[in-house]
Amino acid sequence: MRREGSPRRGVGVVFFRELFDHLTSVRMLVLELLVVLFGAVVVYFAAEQIRNTTAEDPFLFLRLFAPPGQSLLSFVTVLSILIPLIAIGLGFDAINGEYNRRTLSRILSQPIYRDALLFGKFLAGLATLSICLITLWLMVIGFGLLRLGIPPSTEEMGRMLVFLLVSIAYAGVWLSLAMLFSVLFRSTATAALSALGLWLFLALLWPALAQVVGEAISPSDIRFTMIGIPTPDTVAWQQGLARISPGTLYGEAVVAMLNPEAQSLTNLLAQFQGRVLGAPLPLDQSILSAWPQIVSLIAGMILLFVVGYIAFQRQEVRA
Amino acid sequence: MRLGIALLSVLLLAVAPAVPAGAQEAPAGMKGLYLLTDYPAVTVRPGSTSTVNLRIQNYALPPERLALSVSGAPQGWTVTLLGGGQPVAAAMAATNNSTSLQLRLDVPADAAMGSQNLTVTAKGASAEVSLPIAVTLAKELPAKLTVEPQLPSLRGTSKSTFEYQMNIKNDSGRNLVASFAAQAPQNFEASFTEQYGSQEISSIPVEAGQSKGIKLKVRPPSTVASNTYPVAVRVTAEDATAEAKVQLEITGQPQLSLSGRDGLVSSRAEAGTEATIPVIVANRGTAPAEEIELAGNAPSGWKVAFEPKTIDRLAPGQTREVQAQITPPQKAIAGDYMASLRASSRGETASSDFRVSVATSTMWGIVGAGIIAFALLIMVGAVARFGRR
Repeated sequence: MRREGSPRRGVGVVFFRELFDHLTSVRMLVLELLVVLFGAVVVYFAAEQIRNTTAEDPFLFLRLFAPPGQSLLSFVTVLSILIPLIAIGLGFDAINGEYNRRTLSRILSQPIYRDALLFGKFLAGLATLSICLITLWLMVIGFGLLRLGIPPSTEEMGRMLVFLLVSIAYAGVWLSLAMLFSVLFRSTATAALSALGLWLFLALLWPALAQVVGEAISPSDIRFTMIGIPTPDTVAWQQGLARISPGTLYGEAVVAMLNPEAQSLTNLLAQFQGRVLGAPLPLDQSILSAWPQIVSLIAGMILLFVVGYIAFQRQEVRA
Repeated sequence: MRLGIALLSVLLLAVAPAVPAGAQEAPAGMKGLYLLTDYPAVTVRPGSTSTVNLRIQNYALPPERLALSVSGAPQGWTVTLLGGGQPVAAAMAATNNSTSLQLRLDVPADAAMGSQNLTVTAKGASAEVSLPIAVTLAKELPAKLTVEPQLPSLRGTSKSTFEYQMNIKNDSGRNLVASFAAQAPQNFEASFTEQYGSQEISSIPVEAGQSKGIKLKVRPPSTVASNTYPVAVRVTAEDATAEAKVQLEITGQPQLSLSGRDGLVSSRAEAGTEATIPVIVANRGTAPAEEIELAGNAPSGWKVAFEPKTIDRLAPGQTREVQAQITPPQKAIAGDYMASLRASSRGETASSDFRVSVATSTMWGIVGAGIIAFALLIMVGAVARFGRR
């Protein structure tokens, strides 16, 4: 049956109801505690490291998020692991949970369209994640102000703001994916496991696998290997394949935003082209250099949601 | 036998000369006291100090005290007898020995020309000797010291060092220590060194009748205008002086400089698009620069061109603005790059490093926004197509 009237009708009701549920749920509390605890420890160590460094740094505040040198225990690394976890935690039972509790048909018997239900749930999840990330972000900045005693510059603020937006987009990708699985699988356990499995695969296995596959598609040239330079074609394939993982895209975008003079692979290439070392890019150029990654994350979030939407619309919901 | 040897040694001792060291054997038949000098008639210049060497010779007379006096000195002259470096009034000469004395004459500058006769008298209890010395005053004396540059005029640029070889000849009868000084124009740096050495010196000993070579080094200031500059060299030794004049002929030289307009040496460029940097070429030298060629070094793949490519002539003090056209390659990664621009004219070069910030075209930003818009469009399409109750 064709829908009559606006698909937005009822979105608000679902949105606020879901937001309320999320924010008061124990699951959310546990996830929040996890993030705050991890973040606090990591940021504390980063701040201590910055305090012990006497060298002048134009982007001192950004070092709180991404300390130079060590990348394993930085706030950004912790976020790139925990954001998917929260997003999957919020989204894995969005639809099939209702279905299993047999509340779906009850909701849909209200003057609320299916569109509105899915939109509302997605937006509520995204809003919850945003609230969570913004709070965390503000806490880190506040902690930095207290601990370092210097205010961030305008450019640093801009970079941190873009970083926040990129983080939200990254969270959105995993939320859409989790909701897609919750539409596809009737069992919440299956949906959660599939989403977590995919996340583990993309986060842990895929970067290593991309190297191997890239090498297989375009083998390294002996002429480049001899002088210790990676073959450009192979690197292009490996990078392209690795970018299938949202984690890689997020990592690259974050490095461009938070580490303006970082030694990423692109920068290594730039050095061969004769670029001056240690000259940070201005903010607009940083955004432009990370723009493909940002666009991929936002577009990926929308497309995954559209797939979930189509699947949900074609589904039989009566139980 | 032992007695014989002893007798022989006593005999030898007796034969050995019992005269003090330095005494000469009196010529046979010579006896008496003499007051001697090598040159009993000398010529001196008024206003100068001269010394006459004297000697009291005693042949076979017992030593005695001899009172010394000088008579005949005109008014205003200062006549002193020196012995062992200090004024003395009496002398003693041992038997068959001599005592040297010096007669120092301080002749006032306004002394009348002509000859004066001085008499030096040494008077003892038993003997008296006197020596007349004729002193002639003359205005011009033959030079005692000469200095001769081998090549008195040298030519070079303001950046070169001028080296003059000079000979100092001592024509006086004494060993002299010649000290020298050079008078050069302001800010010129003049120094003397040994002829074959690098040690700077201010004086050099020259033996009587000999000559010594020295080297005068003159370094002009680098900003000096092209001209001929004189340097006066003055050599002095006791009362003798000598002068020589040398010349520096400095030819002009162009000196190029290259800088951005208003001193700005940074520029922005977009990947694959030509950027124009205004560049000022100036000639700060002293001669015109001709056929100045402009060139640039940039990372590989970059294009650097100039408009105009060459400057025909740039007079000293003149500046000229040219446009450097720099094109980063299409695939240049955003960031700062260094480009070195160069102007050269016959060996004279000037270069300057310019920092070019390459920015990525914002076109890709628009393309990205388009992709997002397209994704949203798909969503709207899906809502329209699959929307149902």
